Amino acid sequence: MMRKLLITLLLTFAFVSGSIAQLERKPANESQEVDLIFHAPRSINLFTVEPVDEKTLHFAIMHTFGTLDGGIQNLFGLDNGANIQFSFEYGFNDRFSLGMSRQSRDKMYNLYGRYHLLKQTQNDKMPLSVSLMGAAGVNSSNYQFLNEANPNFMERTSYAFQLMAARRFSDKISLQVSPMMAYFTDPNPIFLIEGDQNLYLALGFSGKFKITGKSSITLQYIPNLNSDLRSNLGVGIDLEAGGHVFQMYFVTSQALNDQYLLAAGNGVPGEEFRLGFNVNRVFATGKRR
Amino acid sequence: MRHFINLLFVLIFCSTNVFGQEFLTEDGSVVFLSKAPMNEFEGKSNKLQGLVDLNKNLLDFYIDLNTLKTGIGLRDRHMRENYLETNKFPYAEFTGKIAEGPELKQGESRNVTAKGKFKIHGVEREIEVPGKIRKLNDSFLELEAEFKVLLGDYKIDIPKVMFYELSEEQTVTIKAKLKKK
Repeated sequence: MMRKLLITLLLTFAFVSGSIAQLERKPANESQEVDLIFHAPRSINLFTVEPVDEKTLHFAIMHTFGTLDGGIQNLFGLDNGANIQFSFEYGFNDRFSLGMSRQSRDKMYNLYGRYHLLKQTQNDKMPLSVSLMGAAGVNSSNYQFLNEANPNFMERTSYAFQLMAARRFSDKISLQVSPMMAYFTDPNPIFLIEGDQNLYLALGFSGKFKITGKSSITLQYIPNLNSDLRSNLGVGIDLEAGGHVFQMYFVTSQALNDQYLLAAGNGVPGEEFRLGFNVNRVFATGKRR
Repeated sequence: MRHFINLLFVLIFCSTNVFGQEFLTEDGSVVFLSKAPMNEFEGKSNKLQGLVDLNKNLLDFYIDLNTLKTGIGLRDRHMRENYLETNKFPYAEFTGKIAEGPELKQGESRNVTAKGKFKIHGVEREIEVPGKIRKLNDSFLELEAEFKVLLGDYKIDIPKVMFYELSEEQTVTIKAKLKKK
């Protein structure tokens, strides 16, 4: 009995101490975050949950042109003048960034911030990425010809707020739902908006369907919840080229600013689509290795 | 009964301390250098896991590629998603043997060549890695090695539309301090 036990123990021991031929492969981080739910901090016109990394600057130029219905005569809307928005967004850390944008239409300046609350992980412990965006803007157009009716600074302000909840469902498919609101202190008819309400509520949907390693089909749909304005619809393609992300799309609105996106109205999908084009670029600042 | 147990402990004690020559690390460093004509950058990780067995002249190293950082977050994401495909192939691994040599005394070092299998991006190849082993003292061993990896050998495509010019040849440097098990 004793002897048997001892032999067993010795054998076990021989096995255990008989050196391990290979280490067990273990992931360094069990809750590895999911990468690139979207290609860039913007998808068509909407913000995404994609962060701007610490100490990097994200620069985006967005354009939308005239409606397609003029045909080749107007080079499918390119002759009709573009609305252009520049934006710079700086990442203070991996969760918080501040940005500024300027839309040519109504010379809108916007200050905005994004905060990333939750990040989707590969093991699905966290199934969603959730971010918040808040923006405050001012219309800086010259309305001096209106004399007394020239709106003052406060009357020119507007605000936007949205919550973005996104999930990368598979290697190919990512979806985002963004409840959004915009508030105009004074929706003056002289502003280039269609709505006359102060408050606009909408639900933004963004989709990404990856077709190759570095390109995706994108979708955007923004039904208005409390106005009679048409809903925004967009279809596009994202192309990744190293540090740039190019986004080309057809969309029903010329608005690029977040408040204007909800209040400026939309054309009928189809002939009144407009061509749009964004360039996204990141710059690393601080110490380079 | 007592005797047997005591004997057993003595045996365990002896074999691990006198004969055991296994050294381990969990925080070795790996650096890769991509040296293209217009753009040079490095990626780093301090999560190299390693085992060196001086009895069996055996080496085993691996790294979770998700821990590699190049200093630009977006470049890291593109590296993981488009080139290394860490979703599918999370590790780079090397398992090999070194030629037998005289036992190292404290402070002594020896140049060695490890022959074995290197695996990354799902492709496994036989490679030879020259390196240096130094015995710091009874319980610590230091290892340094440098080798080149051709991305094409491992089916890692270099982007055609490039922004970060990526070199086909990557120089990998490994440095680790291993502790006796």
